[in-house]
Parts: sequence; structure tokens; C-alpha cells
Amino acid sequence: MLKDSMIILKKELRRIFTDRKLLFMLVVLPLVMLPLMYSFMGRASKSRRNDIAEYHSRIAVLVNENSVDCADMLFTALEPMNTLLFLIEEAQMDSVSQLVTEGDMEAILVVPEGADSRLGSGLPVELSVYHNSTADYSESALQQLFMFIGMLNESLVAERISEAGLSPDVLTAVSMNSGTDPGVYDLAGEGSLTGKIIGMMVPFFIVIYLFANSMKVGLDSVAGEKERGTLAILLVNQVGRLSIVLGKMLSVMTAAIAGAVSSAIGLKIASGYLIDMTSDGSGSVSEFTMGTTDFLQFGIIVIPLAILISSIVLLVSTFARNVKEGQGMIMPVYVAVMVMGITTMQSGDIPPGWMRIAPIFNSLVVMKDVFLNNAIWQNILFSTGTSLVFSALLIFITLRMFNNERILFRV
Amino acid sequence: MLRVENLTKVFKGKSRTGTGETIAVKNLSFQCAPGEVYGLLGPNGAGKTTTLRCLSTLIKPTSGNAWIDQYNVLEHGQIFRSKIGFLTSDMKLDGYFTPDYMLNWFGQLNKMEDSAIQIRKKTLFHDLQMEDFVHKRIDDLSTGMKQKTAVAISLVHDPEVIIFDEPTNGLDIVTSKAVTDFLRNYADSGKTVIISTHIMTIAEKLCDRFGILVSGELQEEGSLNDIIGKSSWDNLEDVFFSYILPGEVKNA
Repeated sequence: MLKDSMIILKKELRRIFTDRKLLFMLVVLPLVMLPLMYSFMGRASKSRRNDIAEYHSRIAVLVNENSVDCADMLFTALEPMNTLLFLIEEAQMDSVSQLVTEGDMEAILVVPEGADSRLGSGLPVELSVYHNSTADYSESALQQLFMFIGMLNESLVAERISEAGLSPDVLTAVSMNSGTDPGVYDLAGEGSLTGKIIGMMVPFFIVIYLFANSMKVGLDSVAGEKERGTLAILLVNQVGRLSIVLGKMLSVMTAAIAGAVSSAIGLKIASGYLIDMTSDGSGSVSEFTMGTTDFLQFGIIVIPLAILISSIVLLVSTFARNVKEGQGMIMPVYVAVMVMGITTMQSGDIPPGWMRIAPIFNSLVVMKDVFLNNAIWQNILFSTGTSLVFSALLIFITLRMFNNERILFRV
Repeated sequence: MLRVENLTKVFKGKSRTGTGETIAVKNLSFQCAPGEVYGLLGPNGAGKTTTLRCLSTLIKPTSGNAWIDQYNVLEHGQIFRSKIGFLTSDMKLDGYFTPDYMLNWFGQLNKMEDSAIQIRKKTLFHDLQMEDFVHKRIDDLSTGMKQKTAVAISLVHDPEVIIFDEPTNGLDIVTSKAVTDFLRNYADSGKTVIISTHIMTIAEKLCDRFGILVSGELQEEGSLNDIIGKSSWDNLEDVFFSYILPGEVKNA
């Protein structure tokens, strides 16, 4: 039987691996797409950061009566900020607000009336900053204002406390990680930070390519043969229907795994660009590495997952009248699987126990665990078992369909 | 020798008549000897394709049986399949492969030795005049070349019986002649050929005997002379129409 399946498989693989267009879509595209995408996103992100850093924020300042000294103090404090300050009158407030809304001005800083006397009396002064939360430059200006005004506040408070004959340390009762290099407190292992990012993203991309490649090959595998009328001559031979189903499933699975592995390699290459996107671009995030055990665990998870997804696609392909109908039928499943992939991208909560029974989802969760170095063999084997049990069930149903003339020859 | 005995096929489920089942073929019996071409004639929906699918083991008859020598379609499916070559005209082979590759592959599916496949390919490529295009991709072939490839595939294991559903459908006159000539020669070499068609000129030229099938039932059977002799018509087409459009065909 296996020998007969190999005859089917060899032809299907020849189709996949010698057709340049198909090979490009199944293997090359998943490999290059992520690095290209991340490279583009990394460059765009870096360019945006640089652009914002170099940008001269335009801030309008409304100084009310008896607040000139306070305003002067603010101007001095804001000098290190890359800012152009414009003094405005109360009457201009509406028109300048409109400029902020339209993105032609980043913010309006309002110094309230009587600020000088309040400062002199040791009372707090409440400044107002009007900004536009939908504009990047405005938000950047707001953050800088918070930072510099915060620094000014700290120095004024320290001055007042000193004048009262006290040390500024009286304001700090308990503090945490206040050293100069916060990085020394992070005891994450080698590669864990990138691993965490990749760990959250890999399952999503793996499942996408497992499914996409299964669909590209699997829908044509049976529904396409029905459509072309070639299924009949395939069945009138010495090869049994189980061998045909297995041969076709192995070919779909091979295509699926090829896409998943390419995608994983692509993600590894793309991890270099992740550094640019996630850190300050200095490349301080340590290199992501996978050990032999990680690869073994990854393989143990991904192969049964590929079998399961191939089985789903082959079942739909067998049931559908033609490729178009098959695409329509598989789409809701594809969307559901994508949602599962997105769910596993979120860090944080451990899924409840019952969700660990759900096929595909549990594989994605343990795959994420592998990349986060949290994998437990028990969970890996459980997800593998679940995938294989469901696959066996789906193959059984597909085989029944292959023996059901109403399904196989309905037009 | 192919022998069909009381073959009946009923499709259950929704039917056009709403009775819950459709009788596609009813008590069909005929036989076809080696060296003979038997034509199943009938309009669309007469049950021709269903009959041929039953004979090719693709679907199971509801009752009745078909035999090749001592092997029957119900009990000896695999042996039965080894003795038949099945082909439908509406088939579109995967255009990515070459005729040479496809014949190799179908030879393997029929459990042939590689050496036997090579010998058989040589014969078929010569007989069907395919030598010039066997290494070209099927996508790049003309309709006629594709049809010849399909015929070669169905015959790669040198079957005793060839079952061909509408062999000339969609073919131009030249390819149609090439296919019918080949089938005639194939029968003359001692093989059994069964075709379905609704093209009377092809049937008259190619078939030794005919069965006229209407609504799943065999209305008439025999050689061209038998059928015309028993009727008041002077050609097969009028006999055929007298069954499918009674009252609308008038004597010449």
C-alpha cells in the first residue's frame, strides 16, 4: 500500500518541485517575504524615529497676565528640546487650535494667570498643553514637554526643599531599579527577548503557511482532478483508494511543511530587522538561537500539525465539486485558524485547560512555549497526540468519501 | 468477452421527479465479444455514462452484474480493473506533464514493470502517431494530440476491454477519424471495445453492434442491418430518433 502511495506522491512532488511558479509560491515566497516585510518595516520605523528626532516641533505659548517670569523659566527649561516656540495672544487661541487639529502646529502651551505669584508662594502652577493625539509629531512634542517640564518640576521642588533646610531625599521613601543601567536587572537568558518576540509571531506565520500551502496543493489534488475529469481514470487502476488518499495527503503535507520551514527560516533571517523595530536601533537585543532540543520539539509539533491541516484540506477537496467550491468551503476554516494564530501572538494569560484540547490551537500554544523556552514535554506530546487523532479521524472520513460515489462523482 | 446481465443503477436522494430516487439504468443486458465494437447510443441522460461507470468499477450497480470471463464487477473489482481501459472525452490531463511521463506513471499505477512500460509506450506512440510530441508538455499540445495522449494512457496496460465514453466529443474531423480508426484497429486486434455516443455517423462507421438506450432502458439491440431491418426506417439516425422523439420522425 505504501509503495502505491509513493507512486502517487512522486508524481505530485514532481509537480510541486519542478514547476518554478509553484515552487516560488510554496517555498521561496514564505522564505523571502518576512525578511523583506520586516526590512521594509524596520527601515520605515527607523526612518520615522529619526525624522521625529530631527523634527523641530512648533509649539504656541499663551502667556497670561502676571506669568512672564514663569514663562521665562519654562523657555529656559525647554531649550534642549528641538522646538520652535511662538508667543500667541488669547484672541488667537481658536485659530491656533485649528492649526493643531490640522497638523500645522504640534501643541499649545498655556501658562495660567498669576503663575509668578503662585510660584513665589510655593504653590503649584497648573500648565495646560493642547495637542493632537492623531498626529505623530504632536504626540512626540507632548512627550518631550512632559519630560522637560517634569525635570523643571523636580529641580524646583528640590530647590524649595533645600530652602526649607531639608534634603531632597526626603521625597523618596522606597525606590526600585533606580540604577543608571536598568538592563543589569534583566536576567533573561541569551536570546530570550528576541525569542519572545519570535515566539509570539512564529506560530501565526507557521500556521498561515501550513494552511496556505495545503490549500494551493490540496484543493487541486482532488477537487481539481474532479473538475478536470481525471479522477475517474486515476481510480480505474490497480492502486487502491486508500493508497491514493495517503499519497495525495503526503504530497499536501510536504508542501505544507516546506512552506512552514521556509517561513521559520525567513523569520529567523527577519529577526535581525526585528531588533531595529523593537529597540532603539543599536542592535542591543541579543541574537536569537535555537538549540537541538528546540528544533526537535518544533519538529514534533509542526509535523503532526501539518498532517492535521493537510487532512482538513484534503477532506474539503474531496467533498467539493470543484476547486472554486473547495475554496469557498475552506475559507471559514482558514479564518478560524488565523484567529487562533493571532490569539497565540498575544503574550500574557495562559489559555484555560479546555483550550489545550482544541486541535491546532494547542499546537500553536506549545509551539510558542518552545520559542519562549517554557515548553513541557507533556504538553508537546499531548498536542501531537491530539493532532494525530483528529488527522486519523479526518482521513477515515475522507476515505469514506472516496468510496461514496455520490460525493466523488457529483457534478 | 464482456457480459452485462440485468444491470440496474438507482441513485437515491433528491430526484427531478421528486420520488426520492432516480433509476438511471434498468435491467440492462448485453454482451460484447473480442474483436467487436459495441455502441451504446442514447440522448443525454439516457444512462450511457452511468452504465460505463458501472462497467469501469467507478460506481456499484444497484443490482445485476457485469462479467469479463469469470470475473465480475462486484466481487473482483481489482482484477476487473486490470482488464479494462476507461476513458472519458471530457477529461483534461494535467498540462504540466509530458505524454511520455504520464504513460510511465499510469504504467506504474497498473503495476507494470518498467521494461514492459517502455515496450508498450513504443507501440502506442507508433500506433497513435505520437512520436513527435511525446516529450512536449500537454499544455502545449493541440486538442487532437491531447486526446491521443488520453487514449494511450487508457491503453498502457494493454487491456482486454476498452470502455470509452463519447470518444469523439469536441474533436475536429481529422482527430475524430484518427481516434475511431484506432479503436477499429484495436478491436480488430482481438480486443473488446465499448463506446457511448450520440453521433450516429460515428456509430455507423465504427460499431459492429448497437444498443439504443432511452431513459435507462435498452430499446433495441443488434447490428446495423438487424436494427434497420426490424424497423421501417432506412438509416440508424431515424431509428434512433423514432425512439427518443416518437411521432416526430416520419418515414422517408
